Amino acid sequence: MNFRQFAFRNVLRNKRLYIAYFLSSMFTVMVFFTFAIFAFHPAFSEGSVNKYAIFGMAVAGGIIYIFSFFFILYSMSSFLQSRKKEFGLLITLGASDKQIRLMVFLENILIGFFATAGGILIGLVFAKSILLIAENILIIDESLDFYFPALAIVVTFVSFIFLFFCISVLVAFILRTNKLVDLIKGDKQSKGEPKASIVLSILAVFLLIAGYGTALYVKGASVVFVMIPVIIVVTLGTYILFTQLSVYCIRLMKKNKSIFWRKTNMLLFGDLSFRMKDNARTFFMVAIISTVAFSAIGSLYGFQSYLTKGIKEINPYTYTYSPFLDDSEEIIEQDIQQINSIIEEEKIDTEMEEAELVYFDTTAEESSVLIVKASDYNRFAALISEKELHPEENEAIVVEQSDAVITGGQKASDILMTSSVQLENGQEIQPSKTVESAVGLGITGYYVVNDSTYTELGTPGRTDFTAAWNVLDGNDNQLIEAGRKLEDQVEHKVFAVDYNLYEINKAYGPILFIGLFIGIVFFVSAGSFLYFRLFTDIDGEKRKFQSIAKIGLTQSELKKVVNRQVAILFFSPIVVALVHGAVALTALSRLFNYNLTVESALVLGSFAVIQVLYFLVVRFIYVKNVIRTVF
Amino acid sequence: MLKLTKVSKIYEGKVAYRALTDIDLEVEKGEFVAIMGPSGSGKTTLLNIISTNDAPTTGQVEIDGQQPHQLKKNALAKFRRNQLGFIFQDFNLLHTLTVQENIILPLTLDGVRASEMQNKAQQIAKSLGIGPIMNKRTYEISGGQAQRVAIARAMIHEPKMLLADEPTGNLDSKAAKDVMKMLVSINERNKTSLLMVTHDPQAASYSDRVVFIRDGKLHSEIHRGESRQAFFQKIIDMLSLMGGEGNEFSSIRV
Ligand SMILES: Nc1ncnc2c1ncn2[C@@H]1O[C@H](COP(=O)(O)OP(=O)(O)OP(=O)(O)O)[C@@H](O)[C@H]1O
Ligand SMILES: [Mg+2]
Repeated sequence: MNFRQFAFRNVLRNKRLYIAYFLSSMFTVMVFFTFAIFAFHPAFSEGSVNKYAIFGMAVAGGIIYIFSFFFILYSMSSFLQSRKKEFGLLITLGASDKQIRLMVFLENILIGFFATAGGILIGLVFAKSILLIAENILIIDESLDFYFPALAIVVTFVSFIFLFFCISVLVAFILRTNKLVDLIKGDKQSKGEPKASIVLSILAVFLLIAGYGTALYVKGASVVFVMIPVIIVVTLGTYILFTQLSVYCIRLMKKNKSIFWRKTNMLLFGDLSFRMKDNARTFFMVAIISTVAFSAIGSLYGFQSYLTKGIKEINPYTYTYSPFLDDSEEIIEQDIQQINSIIEEEKIDTEMEEAELVYFDTTAEESSVLIVKASDYNRFAALISEKELHPEENEAIVVEQSDAVITGGQKASDILMTSSVQLENGQEIQPSKTVESAVGLGITGYYVVNDSTYTELGTPGRTDFTAAWNVLDGNDNQLIEAGRKLEDQVEHKVFAVDYNLYEINKAYGPILFIGLFIGIVFFVSAGSFLYFRLFTDIDGEKRKFQSIAKIGLTQSELKKVVNRQVAILFFSPIVVALVHGAVALTALSRLFNYNLTVESALVLGSFAVIQVLYFLVVRFIYVKNVIRTVF
Repeated sequence: MLKLTKVSKIYEGKVAYRALTDIDLEVEKGEFVAIMGPSGSGKTTLLNIISTNDAPTTGQVEIDGQQPHQLKKNALAKFRRNQLGFIFQDFNLLHTLTVQENIILPLTLDGVRASEMQNKAQQIAKSLGIGPIMNKRTYEISGGQAQRVAIARAMIHEPKMLLADEPTGNLDSKAAKDVMKMLVSINERNKTSLLMVTHDPQAASYSDRVVFIRDGKLHSEIHRGESRQAFFQKIIDMLSLMGGEGNEFSSIRV
C-alpha cells in the first residue's frame, strides 16, 4: 500500500467527517452559484434595472465570496482539528511532514473540486425555482426566464477552484507549525478546565448592559451616531460573555453540589465546562453571524413596512385628489372629469365622495385648523367603512392624525384638545374627546362638529377641496395602470396608493432580495458551525457514554443528557442573537420613530422556529448515531 | 448468588463463531472466583454475559434469584447499576470529572441526596486510601490510584456482586498486589461475591477458587487450600498443563 492508496482509503474510512466538510463546502458553492445565476441574468444586463441594483448585487456577491472563504476555512480547520490524532499517529509511524502536508493538500483539492462541481450541479437543479422566487420578490417588468447560466458557471467554477487552492495551501502551511507532541495529544484530555476571571465576567455584564442601555435610550437621529460604538461594545461583551461569564457560571454551578450532583447534571455540565473553550468561540461566532442576519433582514423588512404601511395609512382611499390652492373651480371640475374618465377607461368600478375643506382660526394655534361637519366626515367614513361620528350640538370631536406622519414634539391631538372652537356669537366649544380614525381629511388632526354647529362657525380662513375614490371592483393591474395614467395626466394632484406602492416595491425589491439572500446564507452557515461543533466531538462522546453504559445507563437517561447538551449548543447562541436582534430593531424603530414590534416579532419569531426545527432534526440524527454505537 | 446453566454464545457475523459452549457455573454469596484461560478462550465474553452487557445465545443466567436477561432494556440498565459493580482493565473513568465525582456517578443517576453521597464517598475513599486525591482529575493520578478509584466507584452502592475484567492488567506488581488486597478485604468484610477474569496467576492466587476455560468450555477448577503460595503453584502448573502454546503466559509476573 503506497501513500496515495493510504490517503484514499483514509478518506473512505473517515466518511462521516469528510462528508460533513464536503457538504458544507458544496453548500457554500451552491449558494454562490445560485446568486450568480440570478445576478448574471440577461434581464439585468440588458433590461431596465438601475445601476444601483447592479452595484448592490456586485457588493452582495463579494460579501458572499469573502464569507465563503472564511466559512470554508473554518470548516476545514475544525475538520483538521478532529484529525490531529491521526496525523500524530502517521508521524510516529514514520510519515514525513512533507507527506502529510501533501496528503492534506491533495485531499483538499480533491474535495474542493468535487464540492465545486457538485455545488454547481445542484445549483442548476434549483436554478429555475430560485429565479421564480426572485421574480416574485422582485417586481420587475421583465420575467426572469430560465436560461443556461454559462457565465455564472464559469465565474463560480474559477472563483471556487481558486478559493479552494488558496485554502489548501494555507492549511498545508498552517499544519506545519504544529509540533508533533501537540498532534499526538490531539484531544483536550490534559488541557484542563478553562478558567474564568470574575473581573472579566462582570465586565461582560457591564458591557452588555451599557450597550443595550445606550441602544434603547437614544432616540431619533442620534441612533446613527451611537451605532458603531454600541456594536463594538456589544460584540466585545458577547465575546466575554461566552468565554468568561458562561465558564464562570458553570464553575459556580459545579460548586453547588445539590445541583451539580443531581441525576444526569454531572454528566451534562462536567463536559460542558471542559468544552467551553471550544464551544465559546463557536457560540460567539454563531451569535454574531445570526445577529447580523436577524438585524439585516429585520431592518430591510421593517423599512419596507415603514414605507408602505405609512403610505397606506395616510391614504386609505384608492385615489385621492387635492387641487393646488389657487386652482379655480373650473380646473377642479375639469380634473375630476378627467379622473373619472381614466377610471372608466380602465373599467374600474368606484365610489366617489368630494367635500369642501374649510380651515378656521382658533385660539391656540397660530395656523388655521380644519373643521369638518359631521355629514361630510360620515360620507368619507362610509367609503372605507369607518365608524360614523355624531357630535352633539356644541360638541367638537378631535380626530387624531395618523401615526405614520412623522412629527417632532407634541401630538396633534394634544394641541387640539387644549384649544377650542370659536362660534360666531363668541361662544367657545371645548373639544370633548379624541378619536382615532382612518378618515384622513387633513394631514394633521382636525375637529368634527355637528352640522348645525358648523353653520355658526366664524369666518373661514381658507378653503380647500378634496375628492376620494374607493374601488369596488377592479384587479391590481387595473388599479396600478389607472394610477400610472392618473399621476401622469393630472400631475401632482392625484395620489394613487397602489401605483405608488408598486413603484416603491419595484425599487426596493432587489435590495430586499439580496438582503434576504445574504441573511439566510449567514443563518444557515451559523447552523452548520453548530453541526460541526457537535460532530467533531461525537467520537469522544460515544466513548464516554459507552463506558457509562457498561456501569448501567438507561437509554432515557442518555437521551436526556444528549438532548440537553444539543439544546444548550443550539439555543444559547441563538437566544443571545435574538436578544441582540430585538435590541437592534428597537433602536432602528427609535431612529424612524416607527413601531416595528410586529415586524421584529415576525422576523425573529420565524428564525426561532427555523432554529427549533433545525435543532429537532440534528438532535434526531445525533441521538440515533450515539445510541446505535452505545447500545 | 450467581448461577449459569448451559450458557452458550454464538457471535453472528459473516462466519458465525461459537465463543462459549454449555457453561455451567455457580458462585456462592461472598465467594471470590477467578476465571483464567488462554487468550481468545472466551473469558471476556463470559464476563460480559454475566454483567448483562451481552446476552447469551442459549442458556440461563440467574443473579440473586433474578433473571436479568429477561428484563427490558431500561430495567436492565438499572439492575446493572444497582446490583452489580464493575472494575475494568482500563479503569473506565471519565476524565472530565474529578475523582470524587467519578466515584459517586452511579449514585447521582439514582438521585441520592448530595450529603449522603458525600458521606459514602468519604468513607469508602478512606478505606481505600484515596482520601487525599478526591479533588484531583483522573489524568493527575497514577494507574494504581485510578484502579482504586474504579474500585471505589464499583463499591459505593454496595453491590451484591463485583465483576472485574483483568483489574491488574495495567498495573505493576506492587500496585497489583495492593489492589488485590483491597479486593480481598472488601470481599471478606462485606461478603460481596467477586468474579474476576485475569491472566495473572499472582492475582488469581488471592481467590477462593480458580475456574479455567479453554475454547469456550469449562476446562477444570482448583480450590484454594491453606497457603496462598501452594495455591499459586497449583495455578501455574494447571496453566502450563493447559496452555499448548506456552508463550501465551509469557507476560506472567511473579
Ligand atoms: N463481538 C464479537 N464478534 C465476533 N467474535 C467475537 C466478538 N467478541 C469476541 N469474539 C471472539 O470470541 C472469542 C472469545 O473472545 P474473548 O474476548 O471472550 O476472549 P478472552 O478470553 O477475553 O481473550 P483475552 O484474554 O485475549 O482477553 C475470540 O475468538 C474472539 O475472536
Ligand atoms: Mg478479554
